[in-house]
Amino acid sequence: MGVRAISTYEFPSADRQEMYGDDQLVHVHWKGNLFMCAAACFRAPRAMPWADFKAAMVDGWASSDPDYTPDAPKSWELDGRPFDPKPDQSLADLGVGHKSLISFAG
Amino acid sequence: MAIKTPPKSPPKSPPKSKARPVGVHVQDNEQNRAVIEAIEQDNPDVTVTHMPGLVELQTVGQLVVRRATVESKLGRPWETHEFQMAIVSYIGHIADWDEDEIVIRWDH
Amino acid sequence: MSKLSMKDRYGLLTRDLDWSPTYVDPKDVYPYTTFEGIKIHDWDAWEDPFRLTVDSYFKYQAEKDRRLYAVLDSYAQSQGHLGLSDARYLNAMKLFLQGVTPLEYQAHRHFAFLSRYLDGPGPRFAALCQSQDELRHTQTETHTLSLYNKFYGGFHSFSKMHDRVWYLSVPKSFFDDAVSAGPFEFLTSISFSFEYLLTNLLFVPFMSGASFNGDLPTMTFGFSAQSDESRHMTLGLESVKFILEQDEGNVPIVQDWIDKWFWRSYRVTGLVAAMMDYMLPKPVMSWKEAFKLYFEDQMLDGLFPDLAYYGIRPPRHVADAIAEKDVLSHQVYWTLYSFSFAAGFTTTIPEKENLDWLSAQYPDTFERYFRGNWEKAQRIRDAGGRFFFQGLPQLCQTCQIPMLFTEPGDPTRIAFRRSEYKGESFDFCSDGCKWIFDREPEKYVQAWLPVHQIFQGNCGGPSVPEVLAWYGLQEGDAGEYEGSLDQVSWADWHAKGGE
Repeated sequence: MGVRAISTYEFPSADRQEMYGDDQLVHVHWKGNLFMCAAACFRAPRAMPWADFKAAMVDGWASSDPDYTPDAPKSWELDGRPFDPKPDQSLADLGVGHKSLISFAG
Repeated sequence: MAIKTPPKSPPKSPPKSKARPVGVHVQDNEQNRAVIEAIEQDNPDVTVTHMPGLVELQTVGQLVVRRATVESKLGRPWETHEFQMAIVSYIGHIADWDEDEIVIRWDH
Repeated sequence: MSKLSMKDRYGLLTRDLDWSPTYVDPKDVYPYTTFEGIKIHDWDAWEDPFRLTVDSYFKYQAEKDRRLYAVLDSYAQSQGHLGLSDARYLNAMKLFLQGVTPLEYQAHRHFAFLSRYLDGPGPRFAALCQSQDELRHTQTETHTLSLYNKFYGGFHSFSKMHDRVWYLSVPKSFFDDAVSAGPFEFLTSISFSFEYLLTNLLFVPFMSGASFNGDLPTMTFGFSAQSDESRHMTLGLESVKFILEQDEGNVPIVQDWIDKWFWRSYRVTGLVAAMMDYMLPKPVMSWKEAFKLYFEDQMLDGLFPDLAYYGIRPPRHVADAIAEKDVLSHQVYWTLYSFSFAAGFTTTIPEKENLDWLSAQYPDTFERYFRGNWEKAQRIRDAGGRFFFQGLPQLCQTCQIPMLFTEPGDPTRIAFRRSEYKGESFDFCSDGCKWIFDREPEKYVQAWLPVHQIFQGNCGGPSVPEVLAWYGLQEGDAGEYEGSLDQVSWADWHAKGGE
């Protein structure tokens, strides 16, 4: 249907990927853990290797839960599909896009 | 396109459809005691609930506030506009408000 | 000579002072009331039940102000703040001043706009009165809470915080959405959805909460404002009925607005739910109970059958709101607890008696889903730490709240919804927020989302201290209540007044 307006109503999206240069927004979700009130949002370079992302973003965030250990995460998913990242693969290689959601259980 | 014509002035008695709660919440203070008593007198089925600082008066169908009754309790002239100082909130629709009475009910 | 009746007087001082312009095109005088597709054939059909005129308006408003300021003076003179239940109660009022007071000011401005740009004299005058009311509310709220500003943190920069701080983008964007809409949508969104549908749910328990916790000024302010609110409720209901009665073609447009604005308003009330259940040392009633009484019973069972006459049905997604009443306050407060290191108020683990009260109020959900978080948070405290979320949350594109909401009926699964628009993905917390976006994506892609803006470098810097400084927060405003400046100040005051 669209906006009804008194004149032309077209404005650029505030969070389009180019606003982040070579980086993008990535969300990380710990499935079923209510202690984390919501998924986290990170800004990360598209070229960032998975191992670095996992250590800095995922572990850094999840370890605020005292029951977390870095080798606990399993059943990884990327945007709802099974996900099996290798340490040297970059986020771009892995198909992690702007505002993608990575989730894990455990 | 045809204008949908609403019914003219609403009937004086509550509608025959399912009677739904109507009511008014009034500040609980000395000035309003007479107003609350008047509402109780003019609306015999009203239930009165006291919350901190406020009184909830609720009934079904219609609730009326009558100037003459308020004045008889208050002992001085009172205009219906003064009810604005007393009212906190209401449930329903203000169907009428003139010099003599305020009527709250649902239209349909 | 007899006095004029109220009805005649009202007619003479509103309708009869109006004129139809002959020297300019009426469309140039009122350029905003056709673009939304709403058709009005007879503006004189607008009824204001209150039949207010300028003289009676100012007489009663002045009296309300006199009574309120007398109470504020005597409270200040008698050191009334010593009668509060606890200083941590004031976090609720910081949230109010930061979140609600700026909206009163926005409402003041927009009703002033409507008092010029609505075609009919009746609604113009009602809008003018409301504009004055909202300015009075801005002022009286500010004066009321300035009493606490003398002794406690978090009240000092409410207007700046409203424009910048993450959780305040929720009420801010809500109102921006309304004022950037056309006049009829604005009336449906604010006058009807906010000030009629949801007003009792916000104000009645809230004022009782102030009363239960020794906050006499806020309670008094609440009553002072509420008498204006009854006129606002009336404007809301009257405007919606007027629009519906004027043309059958208006019905589906209004229905869409009711659907949108119920959901947007309901999402904002999540902050009130958290406040009622978790921020009152002496709670009055639970959100669940208040929602049932003030929305389900009074609105769904009272108002909507009335509107059915026009072909209006209850709001889309209302079932999700009803399903959520058992979990909403817990999820929102847990989020505020997790992020209060960056807030203009402090949070803390509720006292044992409060946790037990929550358990009794929420027998189906509290023990099973929420007690565990507080126990884990307590373990961390006992070990000398304090849990805070280490990062920033995913936000909903529409309501801008962190995506803390769960699937209706399953509090263990966060709800994720997504839309694609011009090659970009957008995320939502619920079917309601996604539906709103999909209707008007051009609007919501512009959203100033706090988390994303921090990542774009627009909030003072990349580090937390830089962001907090940009937010306008001062030492003592944020974080944990235990050990805070507020708590120290409270203990100090009560030691002095002890004997």
